[in-house]
Amino acid sequence: MIVLRALGASFSRDGSEIVAPFDLHAASGETASLAQPTAYAASIAARLCAAIVKPSAGFVYVGDFETRLQPPQAKRLVGFVDAAGFAGDDHAFRCETAFRADVWGVDVRAAHARAEAVVAALGAGGRRDSAYVRAVALALATDVEALVLDQPTRRVADRVRAFAPNLAIVQTHVGVVAPPGRLATLEPAAT
Amino acid sequence: MHELRATIAIVRRHIDPRFGIDFGMQFGLAGAIGYIFAHLFGTLAVPVLVCGGLAAASAAERQHAAMLRRVSFFAMPLFGRQLARAHAIAPVLAACAIPLGYEAGAALRGAPLTLPSFTITVLATVVATLISLSSVFRDGLRAALYVGLAIGTVALIAAATALVPERATPIAFGIAVVVGFFALRAFGETLARYDPLPD
Repeated sequence: MIVLRALGASFSRDGSEIVAPFDLHAASGETASLAQPTAYAASIAARLCAAIVKPSAGFVYVGDFETRLQPPQAKRLVGFVDAAGFAGDDHAFRCETAFRADVWGVDVRAAHARAEAVVAALGAGGRRDSAYVRAVALALATDVEALVLDQPTRRVADRVRAFAPNLAIVQTHVGVVAPPGRLATLEPAAT
Repeated sequence: MHELRATIAIVRRHIDPRFGIDFGMQFGLAGAIGYIFAHLFGTLAVPVLVCGGLAAASAAERQHAAMLRRVSFFAMPLFGRQLARAHAIAPVLAACAIPLGYEAGAALRGAPLTLPSFTITVLATVVATLISLSSVFRDGLRAALYVGLAIGTVALIAAATALVPERATPIAFGIAVVVGFFALRAFGETLARYDPLPD
């Protein structure tokens, strides 16, 4: 059981606030949806949740690990899917899967099998969906317990939820930002 | 053990066809410089400056910077210092093409460097690369500052070869070890603090 939490996390650069303080809570099997006013802010919010970018204020926890103090431990548990997806060809995809397996210290063949299973299960719609599905497969090729999706399409998000019912999932999108102090929307696991 | 596996994986990731092209181009350019100018360089200081300067510029090259800045590297469960060590290996290997190329060109022209002189040139190239790597995660003046620092260190080594030639090798070795160590640490700190923001 893992919980991905954000408490008043925000991000500023050169004195201007890009991501306003937000609270978030996603436990195993839950999906938290986080709205941001722009695609840029949504991408940064996703990176904050995946321990890739450090919050300027507030905290993000992945399980017991605070992302500013223990980023490697937090990153080990979280898969991150960039909005751009993975645009490489089949060979590049296999190389990237092997690369991630080595970095995460998991069996390479198992990682390949898992990645292929994700691609098969999620299928591919248009070109953007295909790149995104591959990025999801790469993120899930290792043994992560939480997944951060940066601006997924509705179709992909639903399929990921159905494929990995036990993961804690955070997904960002461009939309109306929740008022301060309100938790990001929680959706129950897909059945 | 896990760290070693991750390091090897990152090094393998860097050593792609582009790495081979870079290596070949640097070898060829330095070889041409060595072939054309080696017999005109009266002192070791000049090839040290040339090779070190080329290495500093090569490590700071913007396409290389864009590759290292990719968000996927920052999603990996590694500390900044681990990532720095892994990221530094391939550029240092690539930079070795410069003194090797120079030596090959100079040898073809009949003016090869002696082994101690070649060693000093390699040391200058390596330390210039390690310092210049920190510019990869900076832009504008701050990036140029690191390249300037790298060239300054190379100039220090070059000055040692000109002023105290009999002790140039241990001096160059001392500068390379001390400055290289701190440059790698600084690169690790840079990576730990860097926030890979979307374009």
